[in-house]
Amino acid sequence: MLQYLIKRLLYAVPTLLAVLTVVFFVARVLPGDPAQVMLGEQAGAEAIQALRVRLGLDRPLVEQYVDFMQGALSGDWGTSLVTGRSVLGEVLNVIPFTIELTLASILLGALIGVPLGAWSALHRNSLVDYATRIGSLFGLSFPAFVMAIMLLLAFAIQLDWFPVISSGGGGSVSERLLHLALPAVNLGIIMAAYITRVTRSSMLEVLGEDYVRTARAKGVPHRAVVWQHCLRNALIPVVTVVGLYLGILIGNSVLTEIVFNRPGLGKLIVGALTQRDYTMLQGLMVVYTFIIVVVNLLTDLTYGFIDPRVKYQ
Amino acid sequence: MTMRTLTTALLAGAALLAAAPLGEAKAQGQKTVLNYGMASKDMGRLDPHLTATTPDKALLQMIFNGLVRFKPGSLSLEQMEPDLAEKWTRSADGKEWVFMLRKGVQCHRGYGELTSDDVVYSLKRASDTKTSSFASDYKDIDKVEAPDKYTVKITLKSAIPSLLLFVANLHGGNIVCKKAAVEAGENFKVKPIGTGPFMFEEYKPQQSVTLVANKQYFRGAPKLERIVYRYIESDASRDLAFASGELDLVYGRQDETWVERTKKVKDAVVAVIEPAELSSIYLNTKHEILKDIRVRKAIAHAIDRKAMVQLKGASTAREARSIVPIGYLGQADDVPLLPFDLEKSKALLKEAGHPNGFTLKIIHTNLSGMLPTMQAWQAMLKKVGINLEIDVVEHATFHAQIRKDLSPIVHYAAARPPVADIYLTQFFHSRSQVNTPTAVTNFTHCNQADAEIDAARSEPDPAKAKALWRTAQIKLMENVCAVPSHEQLQTFAYKSNLVFGYDLKGSLSLGPPILETTHFK
Repeated sequence: MLQYLIKRLLYAVPTLLAVLTVVFFVARVLPGDPAQVMLGEQAGAEAIQALRVRLGLDRPLVEQYVDFMQGALSGDWGTSLVTGRSVLGEVLNVIPFTIELTLASILLGALIGVPLGAWSALHRNSLVDYATRIGSLFGLSFPAFVMAIMLLLAFAIQLDWFPVISSGGGGSVSERLLHLALPAVNLGIIMAAYITRVTRSSMLEVLGEDYVRTARAKGVPHRAVVWQHCLRNALIPVVTVVGLYLGILIGNSVLTEIVFNRPGLGKLIVGALTQRDYTMLQGLMVVYTFIIVVVNLLTDLTYGFIDPRVKYQ
Repeated sequence: MTMRTLTTALLAGAALLAAAPLGEAKAQGQKTVLNYGMASKDMGRLDPHLTATTPDKALLQMIFNGLVRFKPGSLSLEQMEPDLAEKWTRSADGKEWVFMLRKGVQCHRGYGELTSDDVVYSLKRASDTKTSSFASDYKDIDKVEAPDKYTVKITLKSAIPSLLLFVANLHGGNIVCKKAAVEAGENFKVKPIGTGPFMFEEYKPQQSVTLVANKQYFRGAPKLERIVYRYIESDASRDLAFASGELDLVYGRQDETWVERTKKVKDAVVAVIEPAELSSIYLNTKHEILKDIRVRKAIAHAIDRKAMVQLKGASTAREARSIVPIGYLGQADDVPLLPFDLEKSKALLKEAGHPNGFTLKIIHTNLSGMLPTMQAWQAMLKKVGINLEIDVVEHATFHAQIRKDLSPIVHYAAARPPVADIYLTQFFHSRSQVNTPTAVTNFTHCNQADAEIDAARSEPDPAKAKALWRTAQIKLMENVCAVPSHEQLQTFAYKSNLVFGYDLKGSLSLGPPILETTHFK
């Protein structure tokens, strides 16, 4: 197992290097100048050029690339071109908010989606099944930012249960939960829709398997058939989907972060892109790649817990 | 439909359905904390000599002072008043200015008394391209000296009658405390130390900056204890937070629907303030089609300024009168502004050899505040046969490409310090032509008024300077370098229990100044 883990992490190294290289060059190919963005619209060409020299942006691209790779490999991610603050510091400042939101959304999605999907499959073509399918379709197709505003209008303005500015709250757990609730529900609904649909189709497939029919023929109680024989096997594709969407969710949470005014990696990457903050973009890409690698690894490891037949080599 | 349009529509609908609950502010006692909502993703750089963004400038005005200041709530150069300097004198030739400083002004966080050494350091810092984005504003300064602890002498290479503008509480005129700036070095932008009514206390990434009252402020301790300056990018979220009572003061959208909707929120006061941003169409006079003045005149005649104001809303927009915004020192009202006349426009195009019009490819930003303006002009020009093919790009790309002369027509909306010199220099002086080493924002390549612009800058007689600026505007308008369309004012909303302590008509920092007098009723 440990050998497997080390091997998988080592595989991530060339991936990281490739991503960094691509991001480095693609960011610089984009039109738009960080010096111009930093100095504002009134800045003259002389001032912009002076700043480019100060930032080292006038140097040959290969020279900048070598410097960047040396820094990245030695753990020095540099400072944001725009704010001058440490890239690592900026990332560490907001990453807890992103992790908190993503995990809460996944948890909420799984708590709603798995039972609902299983229930829907067990009552195929019933009213409950139709309602679940329509509901999940609605959850998938409804834009997150529209849902976010509706949640705010209902729960922050009309009912006044939650704050509009869900900035993360203070130190207490209850305050953090209060600030996390609406953003997590907003993303959780989308996750629940995905998980419901995958669980339902996976359950339907398993319900038609020979071993389920055999179990029923042997007189195994319905509850045991569902819990031990069906759901456990049906969960493998669900875990794959959750793993896949965990990575996507981290990047796609930006609209939720903006509407609820929550700090997060999504906002950081959009800001870095619009301001042509190369160093910040590069740092964020390292983080994203690392997250995707770790999430994939965790997903693979989870298979083993669900299905003992899965072996790691 | 863009996200912003959709959210606005949703908000408008929801506000109508639930006008009363939306307007219900939370019960407030005697408040001493101001929650200010600014439209921004995050803090930029809190160094007054480096930053030029509205969110940073609106905050910095609470931390720093200039030698002089604009009268709070006003933009008038004639109403400038003492700030760190108690008084000042100017030599007969206008080249020597002596400022006498207030005694006992304290820098924040125990950095000691502000003296002439700090002022000399600060003005030199503002003049240096390594430490300042506004160095070019100070290129006419020969030397800055401190004859004694409370006196600052500025010697100019040539007389600049509007020098006070550059030592006022804006951009490079903000005075930083030397010891703090030297000690912090590059970190000064996250540890700003000034002498203003509020001190920097805390920054929460992507959330807020907190300022606390400077009890030693030389005009007296502020009535507010604290300001929480929140960065809220989404217009919808900012408006909802204001309606729910989580914010007391918010940056608004420059449109009629926002003003009308926000006025309905309980206890809300909407402020529409100066300076206005002048929206003009800048025409590249070197372009193969636009170099013909008849074509440029045809474009000008096709633009309906009244319709633009109707589109933007009469409470936040007004018709432009010149290529310099209304109210700026030196702006002339009697310039030859070509009237809206479609027949004349078509006749001019025919005369210029384009009886069926022509097609132009232009570049424009995707910013929701600017794109509809260009689309409206596109529709107007279509009526005379001019077909604009707009390549919509994101904002940073737009700025990069228009500075490379890649768009023959450029839409630019801008406010500048309220003196004609700056606007005329940046947009119409040959020195500022794009694609040159000294470029700023002259997209037109016009140079007909260089002599007047240069002469006016150092003209000691205000009446003569105004006459020169007027001539410059007439020459440039006659040459149809640009078509001024309309001006849009800044919009803010605040709770009716918030008292600024002055008459809010404008703010050069583009945000209402929060002073020692500001309090809640």
